[in-house]
Amino acid sequence: MTNAVALPALAPPRLASRRVTRVLKGAAGVLLLLAAWQISVPLVGLGSYFYPSPSDVAAAFVDLMRKGILPVYFADSMLRYVAGLSAGAVLGVAVGVLIGLHRGIAVTLSPLLKFLFAIVEVAWIPIFVVWFGYGIKTIILALVYVVFFPVLYNTLVGVRTAPQILVNALRSLGANRWQVLRYAIVPSALPGIITGLRVGAGFAFRGLVFAEIIAAKTGIGYLIFEGTQTQQTARTIVGMIVMGLTWLAIDLCYLRPLERATIERWGLTVDAEQRT
Amino acid sequence: MRMRLPAMATAVIVIVLGGWWAEAQWASHRKLASLGNLDPRGSYEIRLDFAPERFHQLRLQEAGRLVEVRERTVFMMDVEPAALRAIAGEYWVEAVSRWNRS
Repeated sequence: MTNAVALPALAPPRLASRRVTRVLKGAAGVLLLLAAWQISVPLVGLGSYFYPSPSDVAAAFVDLMRKGILPVYFADSMLRYVAGLSAGAVLGVAVGVLIGLHRGIAVTLSPLLKFLFAIVEVAWIPIFVVWFGYGIKTIILALVYVVFFPVLYNTLVGVRTAPQILVNALRSLGANRWQVLRYAIVPSALPGIITGLRVGAGFAFRGLVFAEIIAAKTGIGYLIFEGTQTQQTARTIVGMIVMGLTWLAIDLCYLRPLERATIERWGLTVDAEQRT
Repeated sequence: MRMRLPAMATAVIVIVLGGWWAEAQWASHRKLASLGNLDPRGSYEIRLDFAPERFHQLRLQEAGRLVEVRERTVFMMDVEPAALRAIAGEYWVEAVSRWNRS
């Protein structure tokens, strides 16, 4: 007969309550910032053109919504963003896989790509405007340029670090080039591709603002620019806040889950939740 | 499981866009109901909730020839029916009536 010894239960910290605590702490930080901002407005004593209060910004937001300006600008920006991000990602993955698989192409393209990588997208926008005029083409091209490089380099790393043993095993089983790519190289490159996409998506968001300031007559970037031009600084701040919140939503709802799912399925087995 | 959030976010976006589109169709139908048959290239008074800004003038110029802006009303010529329906669907357009240019 054995006596069972009851060990004290070591309950793992509950994920849900941890998340709630994190959200509450984050919200407290935002509220603290807003309170400090509101209190500082009379102390600073400048007009709303120089230093609008949170209530001015809220009023500007309501006004922009009532007049239908913000929804249209937001939709235009998102359309350009999704188009540029998609095209840049597809191009980056394609070129990355190509360079990763062919040493000769890598040697030929490497100096050119390094050279182009050094030229920021803002420098290209005036040239794009000359070639394609103001509007969506120029903006999408600028975004493609921004997204292309992080996706390319991360894809390249993923392709080059594909386990050789797996590639050899597939080849010895009679797999053709396409099957090796499909079953060994692309799956092992996927975590890198998704990481590149996440980085590129962040860069593209910044690029979108630059491009819209220079080459558009609508969009959130244009709103940010137009606000200061028309002495409606509160509108500029609305644009900035919308930009920030949209990025948080995209990252939270799409990029982070996608990266987590990819890493769990094809990459490292660490819980991505712990890393953030 | 991990992709539940993206799926839900996409569903919310689709529902919001669908609702927006349906509301615009309904609003357009409601605002133009009293006009009867629309002229192939008609003249109209577009009344807004507020004095139009540059954004609204540019948007209206895409629909036809903007002739004049008087306080909250924009006077337009050469507006095709499809363009007028699109304009009337905007929630910031309060009312649309024929413009008798006499």
